[in-house]
Amino acid sequence: MENDKSSIEATLAEYIREVCLPRNDGVNLKYDTNLFDAGIVDSAGLISFLCFIEKEFDVNIPDEDLVPENFVSIARIADYVCSHQQVPYERS
Amino acid sequence: MSDLKKCVIWDLDNTLWDGICLEGHVQVKEEVRETIGELDRRGILHSIASRGDKETALQVLKDNRLDAFFLVPRINWLPKSQNIIDISKELHLSLDAIAFVDDDIFELEQVAFMLPDVLTIHSLKAREMPLFPDFSPHEITSEARERRRLYQAELEREKAEHGFKTREDFLLSCGMKLKVRPMQEDDIPRVLELMTRTHQLNTTGLMLGRDEMMGIVRGEVKEEHVVVAELRDRFGWYGIIGTVLAVTAPSMWRLKYLAVSCRVMGRGIERALLATVLHGAREQGFTHLEAEFRETGTNRMMRALYQMAGFRTGDKPDALHVTMFRVDPKNLPDIPRWVEVL
Repeated sequence: MENDKSSIEATLAEYIREVCLPRNDGVNLKYDTNLFDAGIVDSAGLISFLCFIEKEFDVNIPDEDLVPENFVSIARIADYVCSHQQVPYERS
Repeated sequence: MSDLKKCVIWDLDNTLWDGICLEGHVQVKEEVRETIGELDRRGILHSIASRGDKETALQVLKDNRLDAFFLVPRINWLPKSQNIIDISKELHLSLDAIAFVDDDIFELEQVAFMLPDVLTIHSLKAREMPLFPDFSPHEITSEARERRRLYQAELEREKAEHGFKTREDFLLSCGMKLKVRPMQEDDIPRVLELMTRTHQLNTTGLMLGRDEMMGIVRGEVKEEHVVVAELRDRFGWYGIIGTVLAVTAPSMWRLKYLAVSCRVMGRGIERALLATVLHGAREQGFTHLEAEFRETGTNRMMRALYQMAGFRTGDKPDALHVTMFRVDPKNLPDIPRWVEVL
């Protein structure tokens, strides 16, 4: 399962680099960076990010789950996705 | 759905002017010029989605002293529906806040088919557009008259973002100052405007009347409080961009309404405003801090804001579809480091 988590993290980081960061900022992004404290994601950005996550990993994220424990960093999101997926994630 | 349109996207050839730009001399239609000026005065933005050569067309606009009216013009050979989507993203507007004017029925139908939320208008109606309810706000505030300039400052800001090492460095360099203060009588039109125009960053969709607000300003309703937030940064002054209504009872402070203009999305201002009023309530000694949330179909991000800021609920929505959230006063969200609260 560990492999799954790292490929999920890579996919999430790719999205953040492409959508939320200027071109030269990607290098500083770590999997445990607090996306909110670092100003990378805010309320509006989170909603677009959620849509991407739901589609990309085929998970359904109920509103109750939108809490910092699940969504504060790439690593936390990857844990959440891992434990909510119907089928293990494979990069297509 | 937005009742009021916030942006008109124009075709150029045979719509804004008579003739085809790439084929020679064109003549700007005077009735269109008047409509553009009048809607601009009301705070409605203008943009362009047109086929053709960008440099040539922009020169014609400049020669006719119309260039300053148009934000992020798209003049290229892409489908207009695609250009409209790009413009809406760049201006942070939803598609139902956009109107599109063209002389070509095919283009109008194509846009209506691809983007059913966009209001399509035939250019023959350009003269009457100022009479449409879609372009007639109840009140024209100083923010409205300045809106185009504010958007231009914002677009400058987005351009400047490309020179920084991290996003946080960039946000810190902006020098954002958020002034949070009680609403005064002069602010009422702008607060009403925010309530009408804000859909996504709006926690309950509450609407107050002018009389109710007057009562609050005059202190006739002791337990209700409205604050407004003004934002300034190194690119300019954005005016009042947020408002909060709270009600209080002994030991209880309840947030009934929080709205932040979508113009300042993407820099944590909604979190800064929420954190500021919560810290203020705690300092005043309130021990039960609550916030109402009512799902409106477009405001999921405000639920995300509450929950990510530490609010929790165990409740189901009540008869009015309001869910009550609570936060532990010992565990309030921080104000983002890049926002200085005055």
